[in-house]
Amino acid sequence: MSTMKEIKSERAGERYYEVHHPSGLKILIYPKEKSSSSYAIFGTKYGSIDNCFRLKGEAESHCVPNGIAHYLEHKLFESEDGDAFARYAKTGASANAYTSFDMTCYLFSCTANVYESLEILLDFVQSPYFTEQTVQKEQGIIGQEIRMYDDDPQWRVLFNLLGALYHTHPVKIDIAGTTESIAKITPELLYRCYRTFYNLNNMVLCIAGNVEPERVLSLCDKMLKPSGPFGVERIFEPEPEAVVRRRVEQKLAVAVPLFELGFKESVKGGRATTGQLAETEILLEAISSPASPLYRRLLDAGLINEASFGHEYFEGPGFASVIFSGESKDPDAVAEEIRNEIARVRREGLDSRAFERAKKSVYGRNIAALNNVESIANSLVALTFAGRELFDYIDAAACADLDAVAARFETQMDPETSALSVILPQG
Amino acid sequence: MKIGMTGIELRPVCDGVNFRSIQDSRFKTERMSIHFLLPLKKDSVSANAILPFLLTRASRKYPDYTKLNEHLEELYGAVLGADVQKLGDIQVLSISASGIADRYSLKKEPVAAELSRLLCSMVFDPPFQDGLFPEDGFAQERRQLIETLRSEFNDKRSYALRRCEEIMCAAEPYGIGRCGTEEDIRALERKDLTKAWSEMIHRARVEIMVLGDCDPNPVFENFSAVFRSLGRGPAVGCETKVVRSAARTSETAEKMNVAQSKLVLGFRTGIAEPDAAVPAVKLMSAVFGGTPNSKLFLNVREKLSLCYYCSSVYYPIKGILMVQSGVETKNINRAREEILHQLEEVRNGNFTDDELKAAKLSLCNSYRTLGDSLDGLEAWYLSKTFFSPGQLPEEEAARVGAVTREEVRKAAGDVTLDTVYCLEGSEASAE
Repeated sequence: MSTMKEIKSERAGERYYEVHHPSGLKILIYPKEKSSSSYAIFGTKYGSIDNCFRLKGEAESHCVPNGIAHYLEHKLFESEDGDAFARYAKTGASANAYTSFDMTCYLFSCTANVYESLEILLDFVQSPYFTEQTVQKEQGIIGQEIRMYDDDPQWRVLFNLLGALYHTHPVKIDIAGTTESIAKITPELLYRCYRTFYNLNNMVLCIAGNVEPERVLSLCDKMLKPSGPFGVERIFEPEPEAVVRRRVEQKLAVAVPLFELGFKESVKGGRATTGQLAETEILLEAISSPASPLYRRLLDAGLINEASFGHEYFEGPGFASVIFSGESKDPDAVAEEIRNEIARVRREGLDSRAFERAKKSVYGRNIAALNNVESIANSLVALTFAGRELFDYIDAAACADLDAVAARFETQMDPETSALSVILPQG
Repeated sequence: MKIGMTGIELRPVCDGVNFRSIQDSRFKTERMSIHFLLPLKKDSVSANAILPFLLTRASRKYPDYTKLNEHLEELYGAVLGADVQKLGDIQVLSISASGIADRYSLKKEPVAAELSRLLCSMVFDPPFQDGLFPEDGFAQERRQLIETLRSEFNDKRSYALRRCEEIMCAAEPYGIGRCGTEEDIRALERKDLTKAWSEMIHRARVEIMVLGDCDPNPVFENFSAVFRSLGRGPAVGCETKVVRSAARTSETAEKMNVAQSKLVLGFRTGIAEPDAAVPAVKLMSAVFGGTPNSKLFLNVREKLSLCYYCSSVYYPIKGILMVQSGVETKNINRAREEILHQLEEVRNGNFTDDELKAAKLSLCNSYRTLGDSLDGLEAWYLSKTFFSPGQLPEEEAARVGAVTREEVRKAAGDVTLDTVYCLEGSEASAE
């Protein structure tokens, strides 16, 4: 029996358990006894950016077609005797999966038969089955998924921005790839990627909701097939600190222009710590929340609207950017206002009242997110892959210090490495 | 099911005004909301639509937008929400306040009591100047509402669905957009809004809900006092016209420069709330196109590889069923034939007991999940306002669970195709 480590938050009145299973898998169990539903995720730290890699001890590196992690996600649902959706249909669970830049996650939510559903999840993710015929069939479906995103202005404005910010980093490549790149995917390539990255030492299982930890663990003991050591070197070409271009635009069938303004950061120091992540969130809130002077100026000038304006800290392995986004009749004017405001705050210092308010706001939002088993499980998995912890994040927000928050400016939001992406109406 | 679900408490406030609450400490937040229900009418829809946004922007106590938002941040990022939606032929204007439960505030400041006062004052005490909403706030909200309307066009999937509904229900109030048209919004004047506001508080049917970890009584008291002082007359009637079957099928195709075409089929089911057969239609829609195990998903997507999404949704208040899909222009007809063929299969009873059971489990799962989120509970109880205001989601799950195969077959048999809408991408961008 594996030992369970309890992770507690006095502040939030919550706790969950962490287990390092002998199979190599890290398991997180977050019981919520009064919840009707449970939500489970089985994820691997493998996403669209992992398209070049070398196995430990081998000289040869492998570069695989763009979009293969996402293609693999679609195909893993099929096995020799039918597909996973058909199995879930018998338990009533609502199942899904998603592929992001740096992870692939399989999930379900249910209000009954949780252990039966968990068994299906653990089984199909560990049982790849790819044939020429099944791989071929998916081309049409994913081809239509790609087409759907081609028409999605929110998606296009982001990828155009990433293309303007990044020279070599694969984060600039569409997660689903292109119709051309996915045409090169074969069962052999899928198996190679599967065997490389679907190693339990590179994976996490998280389940939040109405579950008993002991029953989850005994099911894991039964279902998990021990993995050998995980030895993969992900290969990224060196990424210059400068941006590719300062501005990029595309015309689409939209009625209102959209923009994303990104500030690229150096990633030499490795990924941000849990504390730095909370500090960044507070800084962005203080600068651009609806209570900020910047927001008010943009709104009064008719340059943004409340329904769309927002900010995000977009970061992962080898990439990090602060992004402001929204709809605007004049995206260039918005970009200039934001750059000016950042320069002003840098020069004059962060207002201490704005800081205190932003801190309360970020803390409150994160407490509210603990209502929801889906949000808890998704956060735990993403934080774990990044070497961070959920309750530490909430504590860091509650205890943040003005100087530390202001110090984020030293590495963040440099106007010299910013770029603006704009989607304009056609004609 | 004993776990999870907590009963809802119902209290009348006065004629046409009802109060519902669920106090449950397993949530870390509270959400209080007031919903004004009015018949959808072309000449009032836009003035009504702007009200929730105008009211949550400023009050007499907080006339300044920035000061109000500073106050919300002090309340740990509490949110004042505004929304406009359609519930059948009814326009629903919603204003809400949500925030963390008092026990999580860092210095033990009370959050819920202040949110209750704030919500009440935002709705009933606008910062009128000479009886009018201030010009700057009005101009801001008018601009933003126009931009919201325009940006709905940016998402082609929901745009196509909405277009099909509009065409199909052109002769019914439901065919009116939830905010009206851009021209209507542009033509609004401040005096129209004072009148709309007065009409809203005096004549609308009102539903107040308080959910989550807070004491609902002070909220009840606050709102009761205001409504008693208004001296309201009887509330306006809220009825939805249900067209039982399609006289003929209408076809509309619109061209646009997009990579993927959208196909939407609008059906009349003949069954709407409070008909006893509503659960049967819900289940029929789930078997037909409601899950990844449904006829549409397994055939149009998985077998024929024609699309990424193909699904059906049933609106029980209006009695209509919509099927939507995104396909290559050249495949529109194939997809349409296959969708209709699959409906025929359900009609002919060509579905297995396993398919039926899976659809039941899936629907029951979604009803039981509602109880875990305040938004889910609010939407559920709001949709139940007219016919069964206290019905628990799990009671609906039980009704769906009792539906027979024959009832599903019959429900599919009564469905008629009313409107086909295609948003066609140009051939040039199709391949």
